[in-house]
Amino acid sequence: MLTEYSSLITLIALTAILAFSFYAVLIAGQLSLAQVGLASLAAFTSSLVVPAEPLFGFIPPLLIGIVFGMCVGIIAAFILGLPVIRLRGVFLAIATLAFGEMVRIFLINQSWTNGAQGMSFAKLVGIEIAWIALAVVAFWFWRLSGSRMGRAFAAIREDELAATTMGIDVPRYRMASFVIAGAVAGLYGVLLAYFSRFADPNEFSFTAAVDGLVTAVVGGVTFFVGPVLGSIFLSVLPEVQRVVGIDAGWIRPTISGVLLLVVILFLPGGLSGLIPRRRSAKRLIVDPSERPDLPALPAPGTELVRLQGLGKSYGGVHAVRSVDLTVAAGEVLGLIGPNGAGKTTLVNMVTALTTPSTGRGTVLGIPLNDSTRAHRLAQAGVARTFQQIKLFNRLSALENVLVGGYRITHDTLLRRLVFLPSARRFEREAVAMASAQLIRVGLGDKAANAAGDLSYGDQRRLEIARALASHPSMLVLDEPAAGMNHVEAGRLSELIRSLAADGIAVLVIEHNVRMMLATCDRIMVLNFGEVIASGTPADIARDPKVLEAYLGSSGSDADADAAAALAAEDLAEATARSVGEHERGVSASGDGANESDDTQPEGDR
Amino acid sequence: MRRKLLSAAVCGSALLLAITGCSTATDTGTTADGGLTGTGSGADCVIDSAIPIGASFSLTGAAAQYGASQKNALELAVDDLNKVGGVTYELTVEDDATDPKQAIQVFDTLIASGASIIVGPTLSNTAKQTNPIAQDAQVPVLGVSNTAAGITEIGDYIFRDSLTEDAVIPQTVKAAVDTLGIKKVVVMYSNDDAFTESGYQAFSAALQDQNVEVADTLTFSKSDTDFRALLNKAKQSDADAIVVSGLIDAAVPLVSQAREIGIDTPIIGGNGFNSPALLTGAGQAAEGVIVGAAWNSASDNEQNVKFIADYTAAYDGAPDQFSAQAYAGMQIIDQAVRAQCSGEREDIKAGLGDITDVPTVLGDVSLNENRDAVHDALVQIVADGQFTILK
Amino acid sequence: MQLFLDGIFLGSIYALFAIGFTLVFGILDRLNLAHAAVFTAGALVGIEIVTRLGVPIWLLIPMVLVLGAVLGILIERIAFRPLAGRHDAHFAGLISSIAFGAIVLSVLQAMYGADTRRFPADIFPRTRVEILGATVSLLQVVILIVSVSLMIVLTWLVAKSKLGRGMRTIAENPHAAAVLGLNVGRISSTTFALSSALGAVAGVLFTLNVNAASLGIGHAVELKALAVIVVGGMGSLPGALIGGLILGVAEVLAVNYIGSSWRDMVAFGLLFLILILRPQGLFGARKTREV
Repeated sequence: MLTEYSSLITLIALTAILAFSFYAVLIAGQLSLAQVGLASLAAFTSSLVVPAEPLFGFIPPLLIGIVFGMCVGIIAAFILGLPVIRLRGVFLAIATLAFGEMVRIFLINQSWTNGAQGMSFAKLVGIEIAWIALAVVAFWFWRLSGSRMGRAFAAIREDELAATTMGIDVPRYRMASFVIAGAVAGLYGVLLAYFSRFADPNEFSFTAAVDGLVTAVVGGVTFFVGPVLGSIFLSVLPEVQRVVGIDAGWIRPTISGVLLLVVILFLPGGLSGLIPRRRSAKRLIVDPSERPDLPALPAPGTELVRLQGLGKSYGGVHAVRSVDLTVAAGEVLGLIGPNGAGKTTLVNMVTALTTPSTGRGTVLGIPLNDSTRAHRLAQAGVARTFQQIKLFNRLSALENVLVGGYRITHDTLLRRLVFLPSARRFEREAVAMASAQLIRVGLGDKAANAAGDLSYGDQRRLEIARALASHPSMLVLDEPAAGMNHVEAGRLSELIRSLAADGIAVLVIEHNVRMMLATCDRIMVLNFGEVIASGTPADIARDPKVLEAYLGSSGSDADADAAAALAAEDLAEATARSVGEHERGVSASGDGANESDDTQPEGDR
Repeated sequence: MRRKLLSAAVCGSALLLAITGCSTATDTGTTADGGLTGTGSGADCVIDSAIPIGASFSLTGAAAQYGASQKNALELAVDDLNKVGGVTYELTVEDDATDPKQAIQVFDTLIASGASIIVGPTLSNTAKQTNPIAQDAQVPVLGVSNTAAGITEIGDYIFRDSLTEDAVIPQTVKAAVDTLGIKKVVVMYSNDDAFTESGYQAFSAALQDQNVEVADTLTFSKSDTDFRALLNKAKQSDADAIVVSGLIDAAVPLVSQAREIGIDTPIIGGNGFNSPALLTGAGQAAEGVIVGAAWNSASDNEQNVKFIADYTAAYDGAPDQFSAQAYAGMQIIDQAVRAQCSGEREDIKAGLGDITDVPTVLGDVSLNENRDAVHDALVQIVADGQFTILK
Repeated sequence: MQLFLDGIFLGSIYALFAIGFTLVFGILDRLNLAHAAVFTAGALVGIEIVTRLGVPIWLLIPMVLVLGAVLGILIERIAFRPLAGRHDAHFAGLISSIAFGAIVLSVLQAMYGADTRRFPADIFPRTRVEILGATVSLLQVVILIVSVSLMIVLTWLVAKSKLGRGMRTIAENPHAAAVLGLNVGRISSTTFALSSALGAVAGVLFTLNVNAASLGIGHAVELKALAVIVVGGMGSLPGALIGGLILGVAEVLAVNYIGSSWRDMVAFGLLFLILILRPQGLFGARKTREV
């Protein structure tokens, strides 16, 4: 049996390695079709360096080929990545596809490859080497999946912007996944050539790239055994048909096509989705002694944010005009104003998601300008939530918070590869930190639930827990109470107060004016991009300009509610209806485009 | 937890393989050692068991149309030979899906199932990956369509009855120069195919031998179908003829489009053009196309006439060179088996080594010391909708 | 001039394929890789209809349109609709359409075998026309006219008609479209039907033009069409036409001035450059994704 199927078994391993190369980019949410082009480059160039005899008498030729091929893959992937890494989705797929075709045409036109005649290679790869190589690759991805780097990839796949605000340098990680994929592709190219003893550039065509992609997706890209399962499924399928006695010819590809369709349509997670797994492999760690010692927050009263004349205009429309603002450690600063007043634009500037057009600003010592990138600011200690919730929906609640801890945790991939005890210790510390935050926002019992399955209010709280996990000096909350009833809002208010008491500076945008008046140390009111009032909650509640602004706003029910809250002397009598319901009603109706857009100008009326 | 799952997955897949493996293992034991030797020799040879013949052709995928012709002809040949008596063959045709990886697996299966000889594969570049496997397992292979250089060099178990382009093209070029007085040509070939590229190399060597000037060399892709831009460029060179190394897929559109844009010079093609599709597809435009080939459908060779009639009756279409070479391949194998009166691999290998002037549909075929085919090539010209010998 | 016209005609074929391709992408944000199979099916079934029934070309076109539309609806129902709402709909749609295309091709092989087929020589008059000192065939002129008018009609349809408004709403925001009471399912079916009908007719015209149809023709054009829709701007109908023409002319110029071996390098190099320098393509408006 082994001799009859030795090629099949070897090819299963090789195809799985190719699929891992696709897996490496897919786990970071990228669709690259350059893999076979990279493999082709590695295979053909390796023929130039692989010696016939062991080097120095003991280094096997294949090892030289593999190392060289992986280096070629890495370098080529890096060079390709420089221009294409900023492309997304289908655009990235097509650009990389074009690259693959360019490699193929280039190699066909080279005389050293014999063009279409192809090249012969020595037979150096058999079952054992192929499966050892696969085992090494699979091991790498297994250890990657639980490491900080693996979580960063998952975060980027789920939501790039949110990942950035966790301090993850998205372009760097995207490039890392590209380069890892390049190394694996190079490995595949060399192994395939030295297994099949022959290669011509046409073997590394668009069709081959699509086959590799299909293998990876059929196997599933959320679990590291996916590529292996995909490869087994697709490699064994023709053989099974042969054994079962289905005639060679058109019927076989038809059956394969139907089965492929069935798998794609009915198994969303691919074949590896069939393997029962808990959503989160980790339990909460509640023992406080497991938590690491964290650096102290800035002393209360330290000025963390200073904005001078900061403004933003979009093609002549001033979303924010000349705002002066300071935020100190330990204080809660509220930002209110009617819909479209420029609140979100302002906090987007403070968190470096939007570049200011005018004025100066410094956040935690980092100046806000063209070159300030959001993840730098996040690493300095700014954490935020979003008006439109941006959780990593397919990850568990705990995993979401673990990603949030990116800033204060260590990268554990290398340690995990060699099973260093410190890897485990660091992991436990990270989980302990994350558990503490989950419990703090009251989601301790939902740690294993997928974030996307949580209720609206729970999702809001989870976002806060995730932001807190980075141990921020400053926390920016964009409408944290939206969708909460007044009991929940009350609890949120307490939470915000306790955070400030810990020494965190909290900048909060909220429509629930009643809650804001009760929570904030200071409140700033924005209208039409300008600060119209600023002061203690008591001052703001009495300021007629503020009421006027809300009443004058043609905006939403929420604005009307805010006005009502302000107008009512007795805060308890203010609107009893849940603000949240209105919020959700608003975003589903015509005004939704504006509501749902965090970085676009708000001033469009 | 995960580790357990991983091992479960690995075990599960190993089990799956074992099951599929076992189920075939049971029906492989048909060739007991020595069971395929018989008594007598030549026409009197009698072998009791049927001799298992494996074939690996591209029945689906890009090369499917060639593989389909080969399969048809091979089945026809086996039927015909089984009627002769004394020796019977049991043919298994497998599909490599035009994918070398599939072909490797097909070869493994055929070898394990005890095939005495493997016919195929369809494409030369596939042969370069599969034939070493047969060589290692000491199973003879007879290529019936591999024309690229380096196939039979793989080892002493590898034979072919397909003439290489080197054997056909020099004659073609010489005949064309002699009869038409060609002095200047434009060469066109698809540079992403092993067969057509080796054809190009043969053409360019032959043209040099005949002192023909090459005004321009143009390449295209084997998947191309619109050649107008290239042809317009070729037209500018004002050459006496256009020399094309391409597959029949390219030949028909290329010839029709050349005539369409007003190129009236002769077009000279290699083996790839030798297909009835050229006549039916290009119609009037094919007139005057010169085709060097290993097989002439118009040959009055008795076997050939019968083959064409039988094939056309059985498959509702005229055979092409791929079918003729596949049919001849089976005739050659039969000769080799009967010579030693044995269907054992080693004996077939020895028999193939002695093939000399065996009458086949291709004419009298010999296999030389390099295990390559030797037989007369023909130079044909399309006249009145027929391939006729260029005199 | 001959060169230029050659390029234009070559490009109009690419455009014909790409217009259907880009229609689905522009409106539904899905890359339908089964389009190549529809293209092939149009050609092969068209040949069968003509050889069996002897229908003239003007009658064949509507029949092929219907065939394409039916295939398009099947593609939408089988390969795309079940994926709606899935987070990986993008990847999965690519794969399921590839699988669907593979099934269509194997069924075609079962029906008609793997041989290259062609239309009877007399189905379309092989008239030659002299234009500006260059000779072109009547068929090429017809193909160019068809491409241009299709582009205009479709652009009008998408911009002005009720169906087009529905399409654009879906393109903007599928959820909002559903809230507004649009029948999203029917509109996407229609889009696929329209796109595939065009693809099938493109297959017929292509086959007439080059006098050969094999199972692989769609695949060969598909890659070029991808280049075309990117160059022209994903989802832009005029872009698909102009992109096709640009690619055609670039290829012809490459053949004449660089060398035919590097012709495809020009196509993909151009594609690559455009993606790097102007990802939205020459005529595409960049979709601003909400963040």
